[in-house]
Order: sequence, then C-alpha cells, then structure tokens
Amino acid sequence: MFFDKYKEKKDGAIRGYDIHSPSVKLLSVILVLICLMIVAVCAFPAVWVLLAGFKDIREFRNDVTIFPSSFDFNKLKETWDALKFQRYYLNSLISVAGCAAAAILFNGLMAYSLGALRPKGYKLAYGLVMWSLLIPSITSIVAVFRNINMIGLNQSFVPIWLAFGANAFYVVLFKQFFEGIPQELVEAAQLDGGGVLRIFTMIMIPLSRPIIVVVAIFAITAAWSDFLLPYLVLNGSGNETVMVKLFSFKDTPTDAVSVLRAVLFSIIPPTLIFAVFQRQITDGAAVGAVKG
Amino acid sequence: MKTKSKFRKKDLAGWLVMVPSLILFAFYIWQPLIENIRLSLYTAKRYELVEFVGLDNYVRAVNSPDFMAAFSNTFEYIFWSLLIGFLVPIIVGILISETVHFKGLFRVGVYFPNIMPSLATVWIWSFFFTPGDTGVLNILLGKLGIEPLMWLTDPDMTIPLIIVSMTWKSAGATALIYMANISSINADLYEAATIDGAGIWQRTRYITLPSVFGLAKTLLILQVISVFQILQEPMVMTNGGPNNASISIMMLMYRYAFRDFNFPVAAAISVMICLVLVLLSGLYMKLTAAKDE
Repeated sequence: MFFDKYKEKKDGAIRGYDIHSPSVKLLSVILVLICLMIVAVCAFPAVWVLLAGFKDIREFRNDVTIFPSSFDFNKLKETWDALKFQRYYLNSLISVAGCAAAAILFNGLMAYSLGALRPKGYKLAYGLVMWSLLIPSITSIVAVFRNINMIGLNQSFVPIWLAFGANAFYVVLFKQFFEGIPQELVEAAQLDGGGVLRIFTMIMIPLSRPIIVVVAIFAITAAWSDFLLPYLVLNGSGNETVMVKLFSFKDTPTDAVSVLRAVLFSIIPPTLIFAVFQRQITDGAAVGAVKG
Repeated sequence: MKTKSKFRKKDLAGWLVMVPSLILFAFYIWQPLIENIRLSLYTAKRYELVEFVGLDNYVRAVNSPDFMAAFSNTFEYIFWSLLIGFLVPIIVGILISETVHFKGLFRVGVYFPNIMPSLATVWIWSFFFTPGDTGVLNILLGKLGIEPLMWLTDPDMTIPLIIVSMTWKSAGATALIYMANISSINADLYEAATIDGAGIWQRTRYITLPSVFGLAKTLLILQVISVFQILQEPMVMTNGGPNNASISIMMLMYRYAFRDFNFPVAAAISVMICLVLVLLSGLYMKLTAAKDE
C-alpha cells in the first residue's frame, strides 16, 4: 500500500507513526506530487531541446507548439554534417581522454606522496595545494594563457590535458582515500625493497578503484564542459572541441535551429554517462559540491 | 640541523614522486597568481612587460565606464542569488527528504541539470527567454492567455532571470547535500518533539531548519564566491546588456584581456577579484572550523 511505506521512514519531520492521520496522508500525497513537478521542471529544458531539434527553422520560428510536426532524424543528420560535428566530437574525445588521464595520474601521484609516503616537509606542499583550493583558477586565466604562449604550446591539446593535472580538489579526494589504506601495507612493501613507483602501481592503484572511478567521472564531465581555456588555446587551430564550437556561436551569426541541434549533440554524452553512473555521481555529489 | 640529518632516501623519493604534479601546480596556479600581481603593475606589449607604472592599471580599471556597472551588478547578482538560489535547494532538500516514494527518481532528477554542460544550459535558457512570440516561455504564457514578456531584454529582469537559470542548474546538487545532512539528524529529537505535541510543521521549523543552519551558512559563502565568477551566463545570454545591465566583473576582465588584449588592466581586475575571494574564503574557513569544534 502507498502509505505503508511510510512506516519504514527513518529521517525527516514526518515519522512512520504520523501516517495514521488522514491529514498526514493527504500531505504525503501532495509532497510526492510537488516533487514530481520539481523533477519535471529539471527535465523540461533537456526534453525541449530534444523535441525542438526536430523542427526546421520555419517551424521553429512560426509554429507556436512544443512538439515538432515530425520526428525526422535526417534533419539532425543534416546539421551534424553541415557543422562537421564529427570532428568536434573527435576533438572532444581526445581532449577528455587526456584530461581524465592527467587528472588521475598527476593528482594521484601527489596524493600518494602526501597521504602515504609523507616525506619530511610534505606539509608545506599540502598547505600550498590547500591554499590553491581557495582561489578559483579562472581568475588567473590571463597569466595561465600567457604562460602557455610563452612556452609555445598554444593551439595544442597538451596544455588542456595538463591543466587537469593540477586540481587541488582531486588531490584532496585521493589523499583522503589513500589515508584509509593501512600504512603497514606500504611499509611492508618498502621493507621488501619495493620502489615508490612500484608500490604505487602494485598496491595503491589496485586498492583505489572506487576513488579512481569517482575522479575519472568528475574529470570527464568537467573536461567535456570546459570551454574557456580550450576556446583561448584551441580556437582556429583545427582542434576545436564541442564546447569551443558552442562558445563561438556567440560571435558568429548562426541560425537558431543549428545552435539548438548543436546543443542537443553536446548534451548526449554527459547524459549517457549520467545514465550509467548515476549512483556514483549522486553519491559523490555531497563531496563534490562542497568544493563550490 | 637535526631535521637535515634525518632527511633520508625515503623522503627524497617521496618528493621526487611529487615533482611532476608540483610543476603543474606551479605552472597553472601558483606562478600565475604571482604573475598576475606583477603584470598588473606594468604596461605590456602583448606578453612582454614594458614599464613599471605602479597602480595606474588599477586606476584605469576602476575609472573605466563599465567598471561601476560591473561592480554594482555584482551586488545585484549576489542579492538575487541569495533570494532565489539560496532558499530553493533547502526547500527542495526538505521536500524530498519527507517523501518515501520514487526517492531514487527524485535524487537523479534534481541532479540531472548539474551534469549538463554549462554552455549548453546557457544556450537553452536563452531560447527560453527569447522575447516575442517564438520564445519558449512566451509560448507557454500564450497558452495561459498571458501577453508575451520582454525577458532578458528588460534591464530590470536580466539579472534575476540569469540567476533563475543558474539556480535551475545547481539547486538539485546542493539539495542532495542538504538531504544527506537532514538524514543525519538524530531521530530522538523528532520523537521527543512529537511526545511534547509538536506537529509536522513545528518539527520542521524547530528541528530540521536549525539543524541545516550550520551547513547553510557555509554553502552561503561558497555561493557568494561562485557568484563573483559569473562569466558565461551574461556573456552568451545577453553579452552584458541591455546597456551593461548584466555585465559581470569577470566579463569585464575577459573583455580587457581577450577583446582589447590589454593584459595589465585585466590582471589588475583579477587581482581585485582574488582579494575579495581570499577574504570570503577566509570567512568560509572560519565558519567551517567553528563547525568542526
């Protein structure tokens, strides 16, 4: 029965014993309806893009409806080909893969040293890393861009990838996890004469699958959505990613339907990732969002 | 030098492991922070520093016609984001916490906007807020028999609407944090209150709300910090208009840097933003430290 489930409720102001009263029964039904409406509001824009993507420009301008007259996938294909979107997808794929790899490798190594090896004076490095959590990297974009130009890496994927290797938040996530791995394991391996890198690959990485998955998901979605540095570095290079293309629409007049379909293409991969990893992502949300 | 003699091979290996990451942190975060300060005190030709000019760039930045607009808009952004963006996640978090059905659907549903790329959502919302008959929201209003609105082209509505679109994107993720907080409230509190005759509304008012207050305080500061960095929303949705009504301080910095290629003035603006953010972060640390005690 609908209300029986309330008997198992363990949190919140409405307790299992309240549900006997008719007014609480009514309230619980209203609450479910309100929450369903909230979810509808959250989903509506994405659903709308999907539907509007099937309209052609005349329909989009003149027809005052939400639903398109037909679901013709050829229209999407036309825009996909006209904008050469395959290229942007491929570039995004290269960029995202490199970013995720850099995020795991460099932040993982840093956290391995800070959390498990703890060499003399490691607190200084940790302090500096924590300090950089305070200031969002976007504020120093001018100097970062200047640095990239100074070493001649403009127009290449390399600076985009490596930027993900310096993420204080990922370091903290890794460090917290590594601290939970028994120190004796590391010490025993050291006594057996294992080198630090060998211990990292043979002990730390196999034991850290859950946190690697979390950081990988964070890095993949962040890298896919990242646009400012990629725009500055990659625009006009032939290596433009999907987001660079979306961002450049603001300066190049493009018909609304093409922009709309490009937006539709751009939300498909993150939506698929979310569909597969929804559990890990919503569980990680509480940690992830605190970073701001 | 006791410490030095104890510095063993093990420590050296530990530091060597860190070196690649330290270089990246230096290149992307630490050096740019300092470089920004230096850059802001010089004139420059493209990337080369030319002449030390003291605080001239700061004076130029503050005196630029757009600065006052960006400065006062920042406060308007903060005001609206506190009015709309701060309360919505608390309410959504409490509402979902009080349900027992479709909980998985609610969690996933409200979190969904957060995984959408921010540029994609910015574009979608600008289609929604299009004035005239073709705007999506005007279509919906038309069905209810309401006249089309001006949306983003009305200077008084621009900032609140941008905040609405940002709240739509981030509120669900924040609501999940509140939900985790609410489920950790000691059940005895609610039961004791019930025995004392408190109704559901009173239990929410006197137990749930005070319990999330500490978390709300810290999230509030984080929210203000993120509002200071608003960039792509006004840039894509309104290009700062109409008539500078929505230009943000980050956008002003972006214009100096990458439209006018005046890196020193852009750097001066970044340094000012950083100073504010450091102050706010200090406040945040103080609050979280007080919470841990």
